[in-house]
Amino acid sequence: MPLLNEDVKQQVREQLAGLESPVRLVMFTQEFECDFCAETRQLVQEVAGLSDQLEAEIYDFVEDEEQAEDYGIDKIPAVAVVGEEDDYGIRFYGIPSGYEFTSLLEAIRRVATGDAGLTGETLRFLSQLSDPVHLQVFVTPTCPYCPQAVVLAHQMALASPMVQADMVEAQEFPHLSTKYQVMGVPRTVINESTFVEGAAPESLVLQKLQESVANEEE
Amino acid sequence: MEFEPTLASAEAAEGEQSDASGDAYELVVIGGGPAGLTAAIYAGRARVRTCLLVGSLPGGQPASTAGVDNYPGFPEGIGGAELAQRFQNQADRFGARIIPDSVTEVDFSQHPFSIRTGRGAYHGKAVIVATGAAPRRLGIPGEDKFYGRGVSSCATCDGFFYRDKRVIVVGGGDSAVDEAIFLTKFAEQVTIIHRRDELRATRIYQEKAMANPKIDFIWSSVVEEILGDQTVTGVRVRNVKTQDTEMVRADGVFVYIGMEPRSDVFAGQLELDNQGYIVSDRHQRTNIPGVFVAGDVQDPHYRQVVIAAGTGAAAAMEAERYLGKYP
Repeated sequence: MPLLNEDVKQQVREQLAGLESPVRLVMFTQEFECDFCAETRQLVQEVAGLSDQLEAEIYDFVEDEEQAEDYGIDKIPAVAVVGEEDDYGIRFYGIPSGYEFTSLLEAIRRVATGDAGLTGETLRFLSQLSDPVHLQVFVTPTCPYCPQAVVLAHQMALASPMVQADMVEAQEFPHLSTKYQVMGVPRTVINESTFVEGAAPESLVLQKLQESVANEEE
Repeated sequence: MEFEPTLASAEAAEGEQSDASGDAYELVVIGGGPAGLTAAIYAGRARVRTCLLVGSLPGGQPASTAGVDNYPGFPEGIGGAELAQRFQNQADRFGARIIPDSVTEVDFSQHPFSIRTGRGAYHGKAVIVATGAAPRRLGIPGEDKFYGRGVSSCATCDGFFYRDKRVIVVGGGDSAVDEAIFLTKFAEQVTIIHRRDELRATRIYQEKAMANPKIDFIWSSVVEEILGDQTVTGVRVRNVKTQDTEMVRADGVFVYIGMEPRSDVFAGQLELDNQGYIVSDRHQRTNIPGVFVAGDVQDPHYRQVVIAAGTGAAAAMEAERYLGKYP
């Protein structure tokens, strides 16, 4: 049974019409598919079928070790949204369903245009990064505030080769939710140690990012 | 978990924003809840060139509630997110440009009106303000420290983290009681703390809550402090009749003590009442001709989806009339 009904498919087709360049949805699952692995794979395949510019690549987390390493995948289900040439570091861990479906479509559109859509101030800061930055945005699919935080993190990944940005679906990775003390979403974890609660505006996330980078340099 | 995709059409915006012809929009609607979306439906259908700035919560308050039981036309009730999505699909269908951007500043002293967001500026010959309301905070020690880490106002977002835990819901209105019932799906125990000795919620919610074995009540009491070191461990509660205080153990606190109008950005330009609601006449007009208002940001009394939608429709019709006279 398809996950997306005809109405939704039609809307997605319209939203993805006119993608400027090819985008690959690189998905990792395994032979005995984990909770939500099968659904995530099916979702990726259905979405890929809605635009000529989209292609789904499905890998096995265990057997395709090399690809998993290339994309830095450490848990599944995982989806990397990748440009024709460039991997910007945009990741979804767990199924991008519910409100996060919006984040997936947004990531596809952003990668296709290559336009991060951030303010000049943010772009200037990101261009000066000398060390890698890892953003993990914890979400639940029923959280209407969450896509704002996920999209912002993905925009930063798109803007800078130093930034990797993950959506992490909290319910599917309870050990990570525990590790990072997630009791509410969205919660953005910057480099393991700096936290942003809620759907914060770009200026506030930038400030937290600057603090985090400054702390590490000390 | 069911797979329910939620779509928000998202267009990037940077710099000066006008419609395709290079002119200002005829109408800029600020706010993506039932009022703003209904205004966009009406304006779009009337062929008014409209853009809608949806802000931080696409779909507005219904998007963060589990379900809406009293919106006409849905006899079985409807999920809050689904209702919001339906509003948005309808606005989309009639051609409103829906933009996921939040307003940071407005200038209603010049015409066309100027509306700034983090990314750029929009111009409109008419404006409808439908920014809605945001959850009121308790304003007590511990609340800021634990907000997003044990204190929440979104049960649909955060309920999952309280599986087999004890939670407190503060409040006694529809939202408090409805969300308390929702939280029993996850939590082992839900305690409603209310400052009066009876609930204000609609009878049907009261009956459901009273019948739920996981829900108990602490009456005539207010929460004075949220306690905990790294995580929330409980609250200090004071009985307003006896003045006795007690500690109540809990892993999380959900606050539903009403809403505050989101009108800060308009202060000094639009007339506000002493509670911060935007003042309007019976035709949704503000003190500035061409600026209209709809929904919870101008409604201290009802705060219902159907009424927000109704005022949104009225505001759009008034805006259309205004634009018709516009030179």
